[in-house]
Amino acid sequence: MSETIISFKNVSKTYILYKNDRERFKALFFKPLHMKTNRALNDVSFEISRGESVGIVGDNGAGKSTLLKMITGVAFPDEGEIIVNGKVAALLELTAGFSMEMTGRENIYLKGYILGLEDEYIKEIEEKIIDFAELGDYIDQPVRTYSSGMKMRLGFAINVNIEPDVLVVDEALAVGDASFKKKCKSKIKEIITAGTTVLYVSHSADSVKEICPRAIYLRKGTVIHDGPTPETLKIYQDYKASQKKK
Amino acid sequence: MHGFRNILQEHKGFGKQIFLLAKNELIKTYKGAVIGPLWAVVKPAFTVFVYWFAFSVGIKQLKSVNVNLGGPEPFSIDFFTFMFIGIIPWFFILDSIVQGAKTLRVNRQFITKVKFPVSTILTYTSLSRLFVHLLLAFILYIYVFFSIGPSLYNLQFFLYCPLMYIFFLALSWSTAPMSAFSKDFESLIVSVMSGVFWLSGIMYDTYSFDEPLKTVMMFNPINFFVNGYRNCFLYHRAFFSYKTELVIFIAEFAAVFALGVYNYNRLRKKLPDVL
Repeated sequence: MSETIISFKNVSKTYILYKNDRERFKALFFKPLHMKTNRALNDVSFEISRGESVGIVGDNGAGKSTLLKMITGVAFPDEGEIIVNGKVAALLELTAGFSMEMTGRENIYLKGYILGLEDEYIKEIEEKIIDFAELGDYIDQPVRTYSSGMKMRLGFAINVNIEPDVLVVDEALAVGDASFKKKCKSKIKEIITAGTTVLYVSHSADSVKEICPRAIYLRKGTVIHDGPTPETLKIYQDYKASQKKK
Repeated sequence: MHGFRNILQEHKGFGKQIFLLAKNELIKTYKGAVIGPLWAVVKPAFTVFVYWFAFSVGIKQLKSVNVNLGGPEPFSIDFFTFMFIGIIPWFFILDSIVQGAKTLRVNRQFITKVKFPVSTILTYTSLSRLFVHLLLAFILYIYVFFSIGPSLYNLQFFLYCPLMYIFFLALSWSTAPMSAFSKDFESLIVSVMSGVFWLSGIMYDTYSFDEPLKTVMMFNPINFFVNGYRNCFLYHRAFFSYKTELVIFIAEFAAVFALGVYNYNRLRKKLPDVL
């Protein structure tokens, strides 16, 4: 058995739905009672080993985004424990999280520091990132002057070039024009074959089958099935079909 | 204590980035204006002029302020000098409280989209305000140097100024997450602050009040800094001259610090859900 890189132990998360702003204000000082809640994740447990590629499937609102946000360290669980061993690169919202007044180069460093990288290491990968993003002289311009395509390219380039231990990919990812898209796809494949752990979120069955041997099916925050992809997808599609009949 | 360690942990190894981000915060504020950074001086200068005009020229009564430091006789100080020295820390305090409360909401992209050491956002935004304050304090000192003259007591600036920075940073550990949670809380702070100016001893001397009002005014931490700057530049007194004032301030500082750590840690993990 290889080393566990991501582990979820009985993880639950509940969003509190405040009726209005007054309730919100009150909640600052008193523990909210009788609130409407939305249980985004319900007692989710699984383990992912180093080098494994796992697909996550489910309808909208099944808790996929919440799950990924927890792995990337943006959101936190109410109950349970999450352990992530290693650098996480997220190809989710590529244009977000830049400091707009900083240059592209400075943002590379900012991102690097957040991930806990050392100066020397960032210097090493800096050129690779700039090359990949095809930004040319723009790299020393403030990010606010970038087009959205350029921001995405930079975001993508940083995330794939930091040699992540875990790569989180949302299939709905848009990265600009066709040729760059192709480049991205091949880079993701390269990362996968290099043995990086990949979490792949998708609505479409085919792309999951292509990339991940294992898949987890989430429905309303609960893990319905966790197993080999064809098996999981069959359960997912059967459920969808049964829903349609109704 | 554990909570404070969390905040320190978030700052570890991030020092250089904090400076860089603070610098960019300034660029963001002043770019696109013809006179750019000069606005940092022009705006407060105009405010000082307006108050001086209203009180010394308009109302005419106020050419000087009577100050009572517990000596045998209250003494009289030129109103402009008195107000100028008090209003410089006030500009920093006002910005720190109002902008500090809004900071997390304004910088939400760092909270909801990426993993980011959230407490450093408060540190670098308030650092950028400190830079502006240091510039204004420098201008103030030029004025003090020629009108009052230098004194060893001036060096107490290096005690008051960092203390002021830390105090209002610790305050924002409470107010910023709470404002992010509820816009009403933010509006409450903004509304209250528009009046606090007149409740603080910027235009008048709080030491001249009769008891118990004199002691009551010491509970306003803004007075501690405003009078502190006057201790440095005008009264030439040591910071511990008023023991009661110092003790009250230390107690308040401890409370603000502890509450800040508590509130920050209580709300930190909920921030991505509410912003």
